[in-house]
Amino acid sequence: MLLGKQTERRQILEVMKSPFNFLRAAADDRRIENLKGLSLFKRLTARELRELDLLLHERSYQADEVIFDEGDTGLGLYIVVSGRVKIVSSHAALQRVTPECGPGDFFGELALFEESQRTARAVAGEPTQVLALFRTEFFSLLERDRGIGLKILFELSRTVVGRARKLLASQPHLPIV
Amino acid sequence: MRNEPEPGVLTWGVIIMITCLILYLFERVLWLVVPGLLVLVGYYCLQPLMQALVRAGLKHRTAGKVVTGLLFLVTVLGVTLLLYVAATRVAGWQATTAHYVQGGLDFLGKTQGVLAEKLPLMKRSALLRSTPMNLDAASDQFVDKYLGRLLLQLVHWLPSLLLVPYLMYFMLQDGNRLKKQVIRSVPNAFFEKTLLMFDRVDHSLQSYLVGLMKLTFLDTTCLGLGLWLLGISHPVLLGLMAAVLAWLPYVGSAAGGVLVTMVAATDYPKDPATIYGCVVLFICVRLLDDFVFLPMTVGRSLRFHPVLSVLMLFMGAAVAGPAGLLLVLPVMGVVAVITETLGQIITDQRLRARYRQARQLQRTMPEVG
Repeated sequence: MLLGKQTERRQILEVMKSPFNFLRAAADDRRIENLKGLSLFKRLTARELRELDLLLHERSYQADEVIFDEGDTGLGLYIVVSGRVKIVSSHAALQRVTPECGPGDFFGELALFEESQRTARAVAGEPTQVLALFRTEFFSLLERDRGIGLKILFELSRTVVGRARKLLASQPHLPIV
Repeated sequence: MRNEPEPGVLTWGVIIMITCLILYLFERVLWLVVPGLLVLVGYYCLQPLMQALVRAGLKHRTAGKVVTGLLFLVTVLGVTLLLYVAATRVAGWQATTAHYVQGGLDFLGKTQGVLAEKLPLMKRSALLRSTPMNLDAASDQFVDKYLGRLLLQLVHWLPSLLLVPYLMYFMLQDGNRLKKQVIRSVPNAFFEKTLLMFDRVDHSLQSYLVGLMKLTFLDTTCLGLGLWLLGISHPVLLGLMAAVLAWLPYVGSAAGGVLVTMVAATDYPKDPATIYGCVVLFICVRLLDDFVFLPMTVGRSLRFHPVLSVLMLFMGAAVAGPAGLLLVLPVMGVVAVITETLGQIITDQRLRARYRQARQLQRTMPEVG
């Protein structure tokens, strides 16, 4: 209980300090390099990554903490920076496609296209850091700079197609076209 | 497409109550609210330029500095140019103003004469006795009654207005980071809903500004066209000035009405039909503006029913006077979004359960460092 309170206090202090952190020119370039290392953004230039960076939200999850639940309204996509995320679905076929996501992988991508319900539950398998890309922010980026949107959508489509093939392969009665 | 349920009667009641409370508080710290509003308007207007500079390859902070620098330069140049033009043409402006004020006073005098003739009781009216009949008397009355108060208000407002460029600089440079930091401080369970809330607040404020611009365009077009048909000089300029004054609902409209009447009375001193035609035109456009255009543009942009928009304008005026009139719709837009989202969080048992689970995990987690 006491330890929990200490952690909470430390987090509050971090949040209180954080507005002042941006007064220092933070390690922006290192962040851009890290983003470049993620498969979804590998085609983006430094300038494009800088523009995208304004839209990405960092989140940290503890082991076993739920990131989103099956049936939640999907609002955006998550990219794993470090740690491991378990994907649990009540649909057996979906469960086989992406049982786990590691650094560089992304999940919840369907929410980027439509505001529908999540088809699976995402749970942090260990202390995990993710980047979240919110749908409406991504759409505003698409309107401003189609080039960035096109590159991200291309990488996104490749993964989605791969997952769809895997899904179809697990259903022998359906032909793969 | 929105999957969430529409807010019910209780939620709307809470929204209206909170809006009134905020307006009451805002009226008390208007010296801080006005610079804040100006910063917000400037931020939304300059954001596209910032984004263009970032797209051109500048870092976000550098782009913020460049835009603020440009804004400062344009302001200094604008003020210098204004001072120069004012210094060279001040005599002309004074004469023109005096000409139009005298025209307005003459019209007022004639109207009062007719009123006193037709209704003898009006002769005893304090309004008729207190109205100055010539420019000197009007100037004396203005200096006696209002000039001192006006100067005091100017001194009172000047320091807070000086805050505008300072706040604008930080808003442009660090506004996005600050927003991200605030979102970061929200527990994971409520993260997506908070993002949605920020997006909707942003959308509401932008919609309000876009709605206001549409309203100004409609007002200027209607008034300009009407004044042109009546043969009044500078119809578009007059229409635009009245439309901008109407940003302050009702009170600004009255000021715009006085302006249009003064110009009409000076242009056609011996043609009361044209002057009254202008007054009728102005009243018609104002009625259209307050009961049709405003709810259909600003109200609709904020997804409010036209009747609710009109009722809230009256309520805003009752709670916080002219400031309430100006602020009621954007404040209610933001309050509605925040209340709706909070309502969804409070009533979503799964989100609350997730929050409790995260806290439980935090308690059982071994302390590091």
